Amino acid sequence: MGLFDRVFRGSDEMYAIARKELDAIMAEMGPDTPIAMPDTAYNLACSLAYAGKKITNLADLNDALEHIKGMMTHNPRTTDVFMSGIGTAMAAEIIEACKYVKTPTPYAGTKYHGHFSDAEVRELGVPLVTDDIPGFVVIIDPAPSDEEAAELIKGYQSKGIFVFLIGDIIDQAERMNISMGFPVRVVPVTKEIWGVGHIISLVVRAAMIFGAIQPGDFDGFQDYTFHRIHAFVNAFAPLRDIVVGCGGGAIALGFPVITNETENIWRVPKSLIVQPNSRDFIETSLEARDIKIKVTNIDIPVAFSPAFEGEIIRKKDTQIDINGSVYDCFELVRTRELHEIEDHKIILQGPDFDEFEQGHSMGLGMLVEVAGKSMQPDFEPVIERKFHNFLNCIEGIMHTGQRDVNRIRVSVGAYEAGFRARHLGEVLYAKIKNEYESVVDKCQVTIFTIPEELHEMRALANSFYDKRDERLRTLTDESVNVFYTCTLCQSFSPSHVCVVTPERLGLCGAVSWLDAKATNELDPNGPCQVVTKEKVVDEHIGIWEDVDEAVYKYSHGALEHVTLYSILQDPMTSCGCFECICGIEYCSNGFVIVNREHFGMTPLGMTFSEMASMTGGGVQTPGFMGHGKHFISSKKFLKAEGGLGRIVWMPKALKELVREKLNAAAQELYGVENFTDMIADETICEDEEGLMNYLSEVGHPVLEMEPLL
Amino acid sequence: MERWDHFTTVEQMEEVSVKLKEQACAVCADTWESRVKNQTPHCKLGDSGICCRICSMGPCRITPKSPRGICGADAGAIAGRNYLRMVAGGCSAHSDHGREIAHTLYSASADGNYKVTDEKKLMDLAAEWGIETEGRDLYDIAHDCAYKGLLEYGKPFGNLLFLERATEERQQVWQREGIAPRAVDREVTTAMHMTHMGNTALPEALVRQSLRSGLADGWGGSMMGTEFTDILFGTPKPTNTEAGLGCLDKEMVNIIIHGHDPAMSEMLVVAAEDRDMLEYARSKGAKGINICGLCCTANEVAMRHGIRMAGNFLQQENAILTGVVEMIAVDVQCIFPSLGPLSKCFHTKFVTTSPIARIPDAIHMQFTQETAREQAREMVRMAIDNFENRDPAKVFVPENMKQKATVGYSCEGIIETLDTVTNSHVDLRSTYKPLIECMDSGVLRGAVAIVGCNNPKVRPDYSHIEIMKELLKNDILVVTTGCSAQAAAKAGLMSKEAKELCGEGLKRVCTLADIPPVLHMGSCVDISRMMLLVTGIAKDWGIDVTQLPVVGCAPEWMSEKAVSIANYVVATGIDTYLGIEPQVSGSEEMMELITNGTREMVGAGYIINTDPKELVKAMIDGIEAKRAAIGI
Repeated sequence: MGLFDRVFRGSDEMYAIARKELDAIMAEMGPDTPIAMPDTAYNLACSLAYAGKKITNLADLNDALEHIKGMMTHNPRTTDVFMSGIGTAMAAEIIEACKYVKTPTPYAGTKYHGHFSDAEVRELGVPLVTDDIPGFVVIIDPAPSDEEAAELIKGYQSKGIFVFLIGDIIDQAERMNISMGFPVRVVPVTKEIWGVGHIISLVVRAAMIFGAIQPGDFDGFQDYTFHRIHAFVNAFAPLRDIVVGCGGGAIALGFPVITNETENIWRVPKSLIVQPNSRDFIETSLEARDIKIKVTNIDIPVAFSPAFEGEIIRKKDTQIDINGSVYDCFELVRTRELHEIEDHKIILQGPDFDEFEQGHSMGLGMLVEVAGKSMQPDFEPVIERKFHNFLNCIEGIMHTGQRDVNRIRVSVGAYEAGFRARHLGEVLYAKIKNEYESVVDKCQVTIFTIPEELHEMRALANSFYDKRDERLRTLTDESVNVFYTCTLCQSFSPSHVCVVTPERLGLCGAVSWLDAKATNELDPNGPCQVVTKEKVVDEHIGIWEDVDEAVYKYSHGALEHVTLYSILQDPMTSCGCFECICGIEYCSNGFVIVNREHFGMTPLGMTFSEMASMTGGGVQTPGFMGHGKHFISSKKFLKAEGGLGRIVWMPKALKELVREKLNAAAQELYGVENFTDMIADETICEDEEGLMNYLSEVGHPVLEMEPLL
Repeated sequence: MERWDHFTTVEQMEEVSVKLKEQACAVCADTWESRVKNQTPHCKLGDSGICCRICSMGPCRITPKSPRGICGADAGAIAGRNYLRMVAGGCSAHSDHGREIAHTLYSASADGNYKVTDEKKLMDLAAEWGIETEGRDLYDIAHDCAYKGLLEYGKPFGNLLFLERATEERQQVWQREGIAPRAVDREVTTAMHMTHMGNTALPEALVRQSLRSGLADGWGGSMMGTEFTDILFGTPKPTNTEAGLGCLDKEMVNIIIHGHDPAMSEMLVVAAEDRDMLEYARSKGAKGINICGLCCTANEVAMRHGIRMAGNFLQQENAILTGVVEMIAVDVQCIFPSLGPLSKCFHTKFVTTSPIARIPDAIHMQFTQETAREQAREMVRMAIDNFENRDPAKVFVPENMKQKATVGYSCEGIIETLDTVTNSHVDLRSTYKPLIECMDSGVLRGAVAIVGCNNPKVRPDYSHIEIMKELLKNDILVVTTGCSAQAAAKAGLMSKEAKELCGEGLKRVCTLADIPPVLHMGSCVDISRMMLLVTGIAKDWGIDVTQLPVVGCAPEWMSEKAVSIANYVVATGIDTYLGIEPQVSGSEEMMELITNGTREMVGAGYIINTDPKELVKAMIDGIEAKRAAIGI
């Protein structure tokens, strides 16, 4: 028996289980019983992607399974092995889908995650392009020991690799107290091997969302997963046929399998790698998938990795609680002359953490002084905004907020490992030098902990914040000479281009005009290129010939025109990792906005996922557009359609986030007070009728506006 | 098939040939196509190998009525002798080429026209041959190696040194069967002697000597040619180039180099890069100097310098018919005498350079090692001077006949490529293991070495290309040399995009290793590289060469060299699939011997089928049978 036979046996096995599960549920519920995976607009994504089949009821599911059977041919050729392997993943998805027929939450109350929502898929967009998640590993079955399981998972986590666990390794992780969940990027998927269906579902949705790969475009998915999804599998011995079958699918998608199985297994270069010593899995795997980890050596006693960004530190686990809402705190970046500061000098002004009791609450200020020939004061806030991201990557440190309302928690664990105030400076120093190397030649950090000094410094910081806000207020699309492209996402969404202007930040919410400017400065041939705005066509709705030319060039000919301030006419495309999506609401002639975190229904009769699936992947869909949260209060938002007064519905949480600025903008544009309150939310209605009633009740300005179409 | 859009089909090549024939008609030149007509039908007795004109009692012809010649030689004896004489001819051609290169190496010096480029390969060879290297001048070592190599042609005792490179099992087989070759010249001479009137009439003995003379070529003269060429001009590494008649450039001075021995062509390539030559060409109104290769010379310079390949054997006349060739410079082998009269119909200068190939209507400039550099410059200057004589009315360049190709997969190049897919945490480097793993697991079903010429007896290039396409579809890796390599390159099968034509297994291998699915291993003497490749694979796999899922194929062969090659490939243990029948069919005994008889001696033989579709099917079945036999 050879490798191919093992794959074929494994795929037959998976099919047989799917057949049995499906027959049972059909017998019980009947073929017309509807089936829908929760929080996704892509039905059963694997079947949709590879077979182009939209599955809505059990009869469809039955058809899909027959299609899969047809894929599982047994000719001794790699083509057949790949098809059988992918068929195995599709059959796995069907087995799991059967669990969702009766309830959308079959894994509620268990330690397993099960199905991934579209929102979770989209959340991966930004960290993937920034390389914060350099890859994914699927670990199958238990490691030789609990300790080794923990070592492997933590090893991947410290490198930023997103970890999916299947099988009894989940119990091992649990016994070793490894914190698991989507936010910490260690996901216990399922106990049984058919959980791979959920993972491949996530993968193909990434291809549809970010890559605009069309359902049924088999080769398109193959190409996308091979080149753009840096995933791999670690499968522990003894390797069962069914795992080998799934492995065939993984390899078909371009994901190498690394195993410590040495019996009855055949090596295939860069695809099926036998590493008898499972303690070397990590290095072997990263090399197999050509994943290079950006190493920033930071001299701190705890780990540093983007995987810790989602870590939450509870009050009881807190050693030091730095709280800007109670005490004087600040975070400030200032530009100096080169001779004024000393590189890598970390100064602590005041007592250190070990001079306080456990659970102590206090103030703390961080002054980062930078110098460099190409440094510009405009980059100060850009660097400052990154403090949150940098500090959060420290294991055992949680950072929220910014400026003088920040909050930092240092966990007992980090403190016991030796983490002190100076280490905050070490992290800021290392990351700033690393990420801004072409503008920052020297960097010096001062940490303040004495209340009197903090009070004084905070006042000083505030004067700078005010100046910056003033600068930002005057920074309008009209006041600048150039815009910037952002093509950072093209590694996932090859034809998407953002045009970033002062009043319209990147749709991911992560790239402002100043960020783009700094990026351009840092890497003149990089993702942010200058777009001139000399050839005006219509400044009111945002058409420039220069912009069209840039969009055409950087989308490689996929796009010809973009109207920057319109949603109905040549709207800006999106990659798929947008924070919000807005869509046209015909009854009211308004627009509904929903953010990624909101799972509920909207008056359009669509959830975020469903609306988001209308666009993305660099495709223009008039009437729907992805955007950043802070674009909502921009005077350029919906400008061509009459402005932000067209907003009729938003989730409550989003309303709260943008309330202040949105009110101010509406006041200025329409002279309306408290405009945010006129916008409906899920506590008011989730349907058209309720929406119309509410709008009339509050006298929403949209009712006075021209019809949209 | 949509995917084929990126490639060039035989039909497209033929359309261009038709247009070029019109060019020929316009100048009243004849071409091989018209001569084929004149020669058809061929003499049946000659074609089946049973016409004997070895002595002047004859010619004798074997027919049912006259089953023996005057001396009593029967069909088996006559066909067998003719067959062995072809092998001797082929072996002498390759080996004399190898010897010439050995002389070139012997003349090399630090400040001479020829220098040592691959020092490592020289040192490795010196170590292999027990030549002292410690503290010695590089050129003293080179001269000792060359001298020792030259002795291989005429040493009175012992077997060829390179035989020790073969697997233990092969060496034993050769000794057991009494076919381990002695000195190269001895095996040619013995063949000529055996086939002289009044000597061997036993077909089996003639076939045995064919294997032995063949081995003297493949594991002697050819291997030395390859080895010393690499030492002198560098071991090929993957290089990008282009192939097809479209490589000729209307705006440039076009010089075609044609033949086999790189000593002349390498010099011409260097001379054409001289700054003053370029300026001289510009002063004459040309954009530059465009050197293109034809036949095996093209393979040699393409894989070392990325020089573009204008075409293979049956395109030599077509190249001149484009009307833009200022000069065609030739050395030895496969040169049509028709180039003389044909060049007269155009402004093209036809220059012969070797005493081995003197041809009417040519300008003869005998190349010597001492004066090579200056002679090459003189030739380039002559071509530049000829640029202004080009007649625009006679110009037709098929510009779309051009494909990208990645060439230069010497064994060293293959090993380096395989190293890129190893994993440093589990794999050894510098082995064929990654390739073996692909075959062992079934991702690749096997490999086929496709070699050989063009032959008007079948549709030129069609068999090469169709067979390759079918193999690729079936996840079978193709390695190729000679005119077969150029057929592949012209069609686009040596471009990395050609992976789209492959089954998923081979496609994935091509993607991961970043290779085209058809690997260019060089010229026809470089089939010796293929022998070392299969030997290396067998050693790393721990099985015999005969057990490997690897076969050889010459679908359009025509020359005596090809018969010699076929003999050493079979003797090395590799089944060889022929698309042209060897000229022995007049003897059933001989046919049986070359298809089955050799299997008992060396474990391999010929499979003959003139239908390329059936031939490729037989190959795939043969490979699958070899797989089954070792339980994979």
